[in-house]
Amino acid sequence: MNGHFGEFGGRYVPEMLIPALEELERTYSSARSDPDFRKEFTHQLKSFAGRPTPLTFAANLTKRLGGARIYLKNEGLNHTGAHKITHCIGHALIAKRMGKRRLIAETGAGQHGLATAAVAARFGFSCRVYMGAVDIERQRPNVFWMERLGAEVIPVRFGSATLKDAVNAAIKDWIENVGDSYYLLGSAVGPHPYPTMTRDFQSVVGREARRQILEAEGKLPERVAACVGGGSNAMGIFSGFIRDSGVKLVGVEAGGTGTADGRNALRFRSGTVGVAEGYKSYFIQNRDGQLSRTHSIAAGLDYAGVGPELAYLRSRGRVEFASATDSEALSAFTALSRHEGIFPALESAHALAYAMKVAPRMRKSDALLVNLSGRGDKDLFIVARALKDAGFSSFLRAEGRRR
Amino acid sequence: MASAIDERCRALRREGRMGLMTHIVAGYPSPRKTVPIARAMVRGGADFLEVQIPFSDPLADGPTIMGACERALANGMTTKKALAIASELSSGTGVPIVLMAYYNTVFRHGTARFCADAKAAGVGGLIVPDMPLEEEASEHFMRSCKASDIYNIRVVSPASTDLRLRKNARGAQGFMYCTARQGITGARRELDPNLSSYLRRIKRVSSIPIAVGFGISSRAQVQALSGHAEIAVVGSAIIQVIERQGRGGEERAVERFVMGLRRG
Ligand SMILES: Cc1ncc(COP(=O)(O)O)c(C=O)c1O
Repeated sequence: MNGHFGEFGGRYVPEMLIPALEELERTYSSARSDPDFRKEFTHQLKSFAGRPTPLTFAANLTKRLGGARIYLKNEGLNHTGAHKITHCIGHALIAKRMGKRRLIAETGAGQHGLATAAVAARFGFSCRVYMGAVDIERQRPNVFWMERLGAEVIPVRFGSATLKDAVNAAIKDWIENVGDSYYLLGSAVGPHPYPTMTRDFQSVVGREARRQILEAEGKLPERVAACVGGGSNAMGIFSGFIRDSGVKLVGVEAGGTGTADGRNALRFRSGTVGVAEGYKSYFIQNRDGQLSRTHSIAAGLDYAGVGPELAYLRSRGRVEFASATDSEALSAFTALSRHEGIFPALESAHALAYAMKVAPRMRKSDALLVNLSGRGDKDLFIVARALKDAGFSSFLRAEGRRR
Repeated sequence: MASAIDERCRALRREGRMGLMTHIVAGYPSPRKTVPIARAMVRGGADFLEVQIPFSDPLADGPTIMGACERALANGMTTKKALAIASELSSGTGVPIVLMAYYNTVFRHGTARFCADAKAAGVGGLIVPDMPLEEEASEHFMRSCKASDIYNIRVVSPASTDLRLRKNARGAQGFMYCTARQGITGARRELDPNLSSYLRRIKRVSSIPIAVGFGISSRAQVQALSGHAEIAVVGSAIIQVIERQGRGGEERAVERFVMGLRRG
């Protein structure tokens, strides 16, 4: 563990945070080789989060597209609705080991915040979640649920009032309170050791998926696709196949509403290498290195940076990148709902949209594995608005009148 | 040529008084007003000027400086314009200029080129808080400072272990920037009660002058540092003076405030 992935990664933070990150790294190193820690982690994943999650063959979608056999790793069946609970349990156990009393988190879609609030309630931490004011507007149900779990949700109004600003606010809180607080970063980003820890915790997804698809298909998949916000679900599933050089790994970024500035979150297309939020990677930024606004219908993908290990794997040609637009993601959402009986999270719908594009061009004997990072319940309001559902909007009006 | 920073530190020692470094965000409150306000600081008695290049995601800054950064960026501030402001101040005020920037600003400009351009602008030292010693092998930032003959000013905090204080002191030039507390920037009324023991720890590992910043807002706090540090740094408190003043009269208000920090 040295925190560098080629030229990417590192620990670019003020001196004030270095002792805390060194302590975190030491604790994690000792936990990693402690069988009791691993046993406890596995036990919590099984008894609390609901692992293993199933691998589902999308028979109807496969038939309709007429190409590769599509498999879904259904992370949406985790407790709290997404893969995020997996690394939250890992981090919470580390926080306990360090004797911390308080968890700090940032959240975009609210899924990471929700998972953090849930582990805080379960393991007895107080919890504060920072969330961009713009994200609160579009993911209000998750705010409600976080508060029911006892977390304090703080709206972040500075900058673009989205995920990157929530990360900033959370880091500042951590700087002020390193003594008793643990920063539970929500993705495979940030200063070392976060990207490594989050990947390691999430790697259970890849191990399960590899075993499950070998069982179902008798061979490895030709391709594995995952949506990429910061990279936690992608690194989780990719790590199971990284040494299988015949398996093509594809990260799917948010194409938003177009290629113009500010309309997407295509870090590898619109971005350049930079250093922000404690790590070096690709960022969407201007010439002077000011981070720019991003857009995606999926709050969890609407982020200016991307995990350093993914930047490295891309530079080595091991992971390829593709994109899906807001409307492609919505179509994929509708298709999966109608044909497979599953609501994907809008983030995950991006990976699915990619799969629907390429499956017809693949052989019928090929297997295409999609990481369905979360379920779509949280996206009720966004989907209802995007689909212009008249019944739902009149319900909302009536609900407004009732209060 | 002797560094203007070293000369000023020696003069302070001779005169037996506490130095004052005042902070300003380039482009705040507007690109036109930064220089006149900085000059007012010097008239008020500032010994050094710390010019911060605004950044969209300033990790170590509290709401006051963050707000100033946002405003400066909305005003169209760029790295090039900030360097031009630094240049104007270095030639026109007679006090040493240090430039504060987050590392992305340096990196995007080109690390070696940034150091050279800052030097050409007459800047005496660079404060880059998110460029720790451990990343030097990848970034060659300190090496670039040396090559351009510009000081690399290290930042340490109360959480720094003695080992880290020693490591940072080894690479430090000009003075060490010691944050008065474990936290982000922002004006406070009281100094941390453990401050003097932490500053003594630094004195034990290095004889380099000490600048103390973060949270300093009053003459009483500046005076409380005397005997423990050589330079007091005041940032957020001055921005608050400018904000309270509103449009017009900022220069007079800043001059009076800075004078008050020195003489009461
Ligand atoms: C369901 C879901 N998928 C994906 C993401 C994107 O994050 P990451 O790239 O870290 O998996 C999020 C983030 O909030 C999410 O909630």
